[in-house]
Amino acid sequence: MSKINTVIIDDEPLAREIVKAYLKNFPEIEIAAECDNGFQGIKAINEFKPDLIFLDVQMPKINGFEMLELLEELPVVIFTTAYDQYALKAFEANAADYLLKPFSEERFSEAISKASFFLADKKRNEETLGNVFEQMDKKKEFLERVVVKNGPRIHIIPADKISFIEAQDDYVMINTAEGRFLKQKTMKFFEDHLNPEEFIRIHRSFLVRLSEIKQIELFEKETYRVQTSGGKFLPVSKSGYSRLKEIFQ
Amino acid sequence: MSNPLLILRNFLFYLFIWITVGVIHILFLYNSASLSLKDSISDSIVFNIVYMGLGLGLWYPVKFLSIENRSSSRFALQHVLAALSTSVLWLGLSALILLVVLNPGRELDSFLMRTAGWRILIGVMLYVIIASFYYLYIFYNSYNEKLIKESELKSYAREAELKSLKYQINPHFLFNSLNSISSLTLTDPSKAREMTIKLSEYMRMTLSESEKQFHNLSEEIKNVRLYLDIEKVRFGSKFEYVEELASSSSGVMIPPMILQPLLENAIKYGVYESLEKVIIKLSCQKENNYLKISVENNYDQEAVSPSGEKIGLKNILNRLSLVYHQDNLLVVDNRDGIFKVNIFIPLGES
Repeated sequence: MSKINTVIIDDEPLAREIVKAYLKNFPEIEIAAECDNGFQGIKAINEFKPDLIFLDVQMPKINGFEMLELLEELPVVIFTTAYDQYALKAFEANAADYLLKPFSEERFSEAISKASFFLADKKRNEETLGNVFEQMDKKKEFLERVVVKNGPRIHIIPADKISFIEAQDDYVMINTAEGRFLKQKTMKFFEDHLNPEEFIRIHRSFLVRLSEIKQIELFEKETYRVQTSGGKFLPVSKSGYSRLKEIFQ
Repeated sequence: MSNPLLILRNFLFYLFIWITVGVIHILFLYNSASLSLKDSISDSIVFNIVYMGLGLGLWYPVKFLSIENRSSSRFALQHVLAALSTSVLWLGLSALILLVVLNPGRELDSFLMRTAGWRILIGVMLYVIIASFYYLYIFYNSYNEKLIKESELKSYAREAELKSLKYQINPHFLFNSLNSISSLTLTDPSKAREMTIKLSEYMRMTLSESEKQFHNLSEEIKNVRLYLDIEKVRFGSKFEYVEELASSSSGVMIPPMILQPLLENAIKYGVYESLEKVIIKLSCQKENNYLKISVENNYDQEAVSPSGEKIGLKNILNRLSLVYHQDNLLVVDNRDGIFKVNIFIPLGES
């Protein structure tokens, strides 16, 4: 039987310690790396290509979910978290398993056997993790930041730094004063998850921060465009115009 | 507080009383002093309208001569002087208007001369009545205000108590700590025992201290240390705690659990969000008439802080202003990646 490679990602040393201690009962699982934050986690996962990871949710700078978002290939995930039931409910049915801190050895073994089902069926794993993202998106009220991976660099963009978002095929271009960042997400996602008091969809392909709107002007007959404070012109659709009117009147 | 008689409803009442007084005045002069009807009416109108005006002005000496700020003999003397001068002013002004403007017959003229003494007396009497009304009004108002403040304070105390109770069962802190203990039972049982004891002590402390209105600064610091000890076990070398306490400050009484949220913030926004080591510094020293307590920590300026940071600070500010009746007792100083909160506790009060 081939060994199962694993990476433990948790910012608390003692929390990693107990996972390591429980893993002693599973000689087939080999610990490739231990990481105390999400950045290290991404590096280790890309380097060691683990089959399974233990992942804490709350960590500095980027949390567990955001870290997964930035991975190209998803390993089987067991979440370890102290979060309360509400947060847990969101992904209850979806991750390979979650361990609610503090967890018992029996509970840990259970998680490992659940994970081995997923290990046997990689495709299923990817599908269910896709669901995890959708579910966890629901639990958040509004996005506070967006993480974008650009080659080896990870950008953390605070939501309040975004000036507008532009659709580009399967991607969106996030425009900020500091630069433009390409991310694989839909416009719908941002429309749903950015605070509607701050952002407005003015066009099928454009979502703009209200405070960025410098003026709304007539472009051709009955078509309008918005000028941003950065000097860009963005098209306004009919429905976009009526939304704008509602706000500025 | 502005003149209560200038509120429309009160003013109409004031006017009504003066009209009544005026009518009695006319009847009295006409019947008992056997003045002509015309003279009785002019006398009544002028004297009463003038005092009505002066009465409105009496609000200002009353407001200025507040009972609390002066010795009682000085207070009485000032009022006697004010009453006499108001009376004289009343008599002089009214007589002037009557004699010069209306130019009545000899009869009223001599009547005025005869009754001058009486009128001064009546003026003083009116002064007493109106001033008493103003004092009653001020007293009633401040009494009401005190009642409102008191009930506010009570509800706030309850709320704070509730919050600190909630704090104890903060699931995140508690479960993570229990997870650390669970881990330590495998790797370092004696440390696990130590942490269990600390956690219990901490919880007991928050439970008992939160019921008091004040406690010693040293009690508060003991609690802070316990809390940070527990977090230290969890976060290892990710943060360091430094204390700078002036020895004279330990006996000062402060509201319990007032520092707790500050250290919680330092952990939550400093330690939790940073990849670098965070230094949390607590310093206390006396400054002028205050005990200045500062909590500061470095933080990662690039980290996007989770929302809700302001509420904890606002709660502290509210509590301080309710306890000490001053709303400038919390000052935040946030620059160059150092977040510092200063709390000022007025000395000689508890």
